[in-house]
Amino acid sequence: MPRRRIYDPLTELLAAVLLVVLVLVVNRWEFSLAVLVLGVLPAVLLSGRPRQIGLAIALVTGPLLVSSLLLHGLFFPEGRTVLADLGIARVTAEGLSFAALMGLRMGVFSGVLLTAAMTLDVPELLASMTHRGWNRKLVFVVGSAVGLIPHVALRGQRITRAQQARGLVVGRGPLSRFRALLTVLTPLVIGLLVDASERNRMLEARGFSSPGVRTSYLPDTDSPRQRLVRRCMVAAVAVFSTVWLVASP
Amino acid sequence: MITLESGSFAYDDGPTLLPDVTLAVGPGEYVIVAGASGSGKTTLARLLAGQTGGDAGSSFRGAITLDGETVRFDGASTDPRIDAAAWSARVAYVAQGGWGQLSMMSATVGEEIAFGPANRGVPAGELRRLVTEVAAALRLTDLLHRDPRRLSGGQLQRTVIASAVVQRPRVLVLDEPFQGLDDDAAQDVAAALAGLRRDGTGVVVCEPMLPRTAPQGARVLALAEGRRVFDGPLVEARRAGLPRYGIGTAGDPPRPEQGAGPAPVDPSAPELVAVARVSFRHAHDGGGPAGDAPDGHAPDGGRAGGAGLSGVDLSVRAGEIVAVRGPNGSGKSTLLQHLNGLHRADAGAVTVGGLPILRQPTGTLAATVGYLFQDTDQQLFERTVLREVAYGPRAAGLAKDDAARRAVEVLEAMGLGSLARSHPYELGFVQRRLVAVACLLATGPPVWVLDEPTAGLDGPTRSMLAGLLVQRAGEGGAVVLATHDASFADAVAHRTVWLEAGRVRTGDAAPGA
Amino acid sequence: MSSLTLAPTARQRPRRLLIGLGGALIAATYLFLVTVQPVEIAGGVGSAASLVTLFGFLGGGALLVGGILPMLSTSSLVVMPLGIALNIAIGQIAGSLGMQIYLDAIGTVLVAVLAGPAAGAATGALSNAIWGLFNPFALPFAAGAALIGLLAGLAARYGAFRRVYLAPAAGLVVGAVGGLVAAPVAVFMFGAAGTFGTNAIIAVFRSMGDKLLVAATKQGLLSDSLDKIVVFVIVALIVYALPPRAVRQFPFARTHRVLGQRTASEPAGGPAATVRGDGAGIA
Repeated sequence: MPRRRIYDPLTELLAAVLLVVLVLVVNRWEFSLAVLVLGVLPAVLLSGRPRQIGLAIALVTGPLLVSSLLLHGLFFPEGRTVLADLGIARVTAEGLSFAALMGLRMGVFSGVLLTAAMTLDVPELLASMTHRGWNRKLVFVVGSAVGLIPHVALRGQRITRAQQARGLVVGRGPLSRFRALLTVLTPLVIGLLVDASERNRMLEARGFSSPGVRTSYLPDTDSPRQRLVRRCMVAAVAVFSTVWLVASP
Repeated sequence: MITLESGSFAYDDGPTLLPDVTLAVGPGEYVIVAGASGSGKTTLARLLAGQTGGDAGSSFRGAITLDGETVRFDGASTDPRIDAAAWSARVAYVAQGGWGQLSMMSATVGEEIAFGPANRGVPAGELRRLVTEVAAALRLTDLLHRDPRRLSGGQLQRTVIASAVVQRPRVLVLDEPFQGLDDDAAQDVAAALAGLRRDGTGVVVCEPMLPRTAPQGARVLALAEGRRVFDGPLVEARRAGLPRYGIGTAGDPPRPEQGAGPAPVDPSAPELVAVARVSFRHAHDGGGPAGDAPDGHAPDGGRAGGAGLSGVDLSVRAGEIVAVRGPNGSGKSTLLQHLNGLHRADAGAVTVGGLPILRQPTGTLAATVGYLFQDTDQQLFERTVLREVAYGPRAAGLAKDDAARRAVEVLEAMGLGSLARSHPYELGFVQRRLVAVACLLATGPPVWVLDEPTAGLDGPTRSMLAGLLVQRAGEGGAVVLATHDASFADAVAHRTVWLEAGRVRTGDAAPGA
Repeated sequence: MSSLTLAPTARQRPRRLLIGLGGALIAATYLFLVTVQPVEIAGGVGSAASLVTLFGFLGGGALLVGGILPMLSTSSLVVMPLGIALNIAIGQIAGSLGMQIYLDAIGTVLVAVLAGPAAGAATGALSNAIWGLFNPFALPFAAGAALIGLLAGLAARYGAFRRVYLAPAAGLVVGAVGGLVAAPVAVFMFGAAGTFGTNAIIAVFRSMGDKLLVAATKQGLLSDSLDKIVVFVIVALIVYALPPRAVRQFPFARTHRVLGQRTASEPAGGPAATVRGDGAGIA
């Protein structure tokens, strides 16, 4: 069951971005860890879909963390405190702590943003952008792209099956894969372009080029109070960051 | 209300279409523009919709009069440019196929219908009223909260019509709105059109054939190769000898040139397709990679992925043609895709051409089983028709020159020789379907599997296809086709297997030979 | 003038100020990162550097998009979502396979070739912004993606897609520039973490004693060049296989003869002269 929405998507996204900025400004592992444990974790658990979000964070961040650990843990020429010498590779304390710091930062970064994005209702975001009077072309490109992604993936799968039915066998070699990619991509792109040219006419006929402000079928979830809150949040983070960066050595 | 007087129309340097064709549509009228592939009916529909194509390099001479206002075109670059938004408020146009006409940015049918008025800045309250009204008229009220990208063919068609007519235009022009729909869905769409006509909207429908049923007083403008060949009431059109222009009546049996029905099957002929107690469940319940969407569109949201199969038997001998029929979602495509390895049975066994389908890659079966998808466009990828048709023989191991020679032979035999150097996607829908069939012929597999092969075909092509299937069986091949086209199945198939909810319906189906 | 026809109108002008500002911000950010900051990385994680990276590149990208979007025609606009969706769909697959190349710019380059550098740049930037909804690590690379789109469009305009052997050469150059720009982002934001494939390359340079930024830049030059060579060749082969009519609907591709003779005129004896009626085709 999805969480009941309280705030406008713009407010939620802005809050997530500002949190990331704060983490970068403060730049202490204690703070990053606190945000992760006290901010991201409860948000994920209360999101109504903790498993999907947890899995997404793990899938997106996990490989990066591991490869980062391997890279800096084994190859950190600036490191002085050698813990283990493995010939070409040296495990150094500096390397490990660098990897840990970077890993924590990446964890917070993806944790905060992914949680915000995955609890986001895209139609609501688009409606909110329209109500705020954002450029209609931007709203169209964003909305249409998000809508097309699953469609493109599905169509790609269908075309792959159709080409297999015609005798496509994907081998292991890079050349064979390259060819397979082309036999699938070509009809995919042609089909999408045919749709796009039809959509071009449709947009013109539906008055997409009309001047003036677009309206939205969906109700506005924003309020003057939230707009005020957003401005205050930005101001507060800006002031805090300036003070912190100037004051810290 | 609208009057189109076409002097001439030409794409680039192509031949002249629609010379001296006049069409006037009044309030509440129902006009059928009938014509075979390449007759210029889509061009006519687009002209009515104000798409004169000046920006795409085509030239139009003539005039269009809309509510007493006349716009003239001389085929010159100084021609007036039509304001598509203003025009569409009075003449709505629904092109072929629904997908290209979705904005793709609406998560619900309601938003999609409101897309046009929202662009024009109609305030929110008014938007809701407009959407509610048009949804009620087209019986979409229950679907307003559904995702427009996951509708069945008929629902999608009605959504697209609703989005086009939400501005209450005087005329609605539709290009083959019934293509690929089963009877129920087609009736829903027809009922929606009838509702609009009661409110005074003139309706123009382009069709490859004369419809079997049409509203009272329907008029027909028949086109052949860009020229008008008939103009008058539908009742007279039926007697006007239009089949000589390739305009038959939907539901008529095909008329293959060579011989009549299929030759009797030799009971001792080898079994080419053997499906034994096959059961299958789709991996994802929620709309996974469904190859069996009803018409190349998104799977029906209600039962995404189509039905599975339970305990299906099917046996087809050499020389035999078997039709598989049943309602949408009964598992027809699922069964068909077991025959070339696109689906693998959960239980039971499938043997095709003596080859048991186990774990081998699907692609290796292409020389044994030829598969024609309902949505042909997913299969074509080369840049000329010749290369396209030569691909199969090449993949089967023929040398380049031999493959090309084989392709030329097949294209000549099918009367497509002049298209060999065309780009497949610059051909019309019917010709693209023929190219896909030519690919099958050139590769020459013993077993043919075809999914809705006649959907959207015109009369001559449908008859030609019937001839090809009969010929294939006569040469000792086996043909399995899934179809809604009853008269086609009756004319070419030796027997029909009925599927319902993934099971073979016994009683009216002859048991496997 | 009839109410049904349009008066001849001038195209909307690009907002040059925004585009200029955006470009300047991105360039300044890059120079700052490369010239001022490399020392910091050895000592610590660097707070200012990552902030500058985030704001400089994202802000610059946003300004670019804001400047470009108003001038785009509807025909350019409708292919951008397509390019973005292709980028993300293919990029996700390549990323999950842990490949040494990304293949996440096929859509951007395709849009750039058909609709021009401006549309290409906007597609690149928006592509990474939207991808950020599924994979936040794509977000800071938005400016680099915009640069790829811009350069690919310029390459197309000056004929890099008229011959099939020119495409990989253009890809090499564009990829090298892209790699240079992407490296500091990767280093200052995420300590150069990438896929196993790319990190293995960095590890080789690190084991030879290179600084992280230097190693990441070298890896970027290698991977991005290779990636863009492959991407440019794929896009060239795709656009050659497109029906000429589909290409000609794009004013950019038509006026600059992006594909050379292939679209300049109907092929001699072209059977495209067949009567075309019911096309779901591109007529």
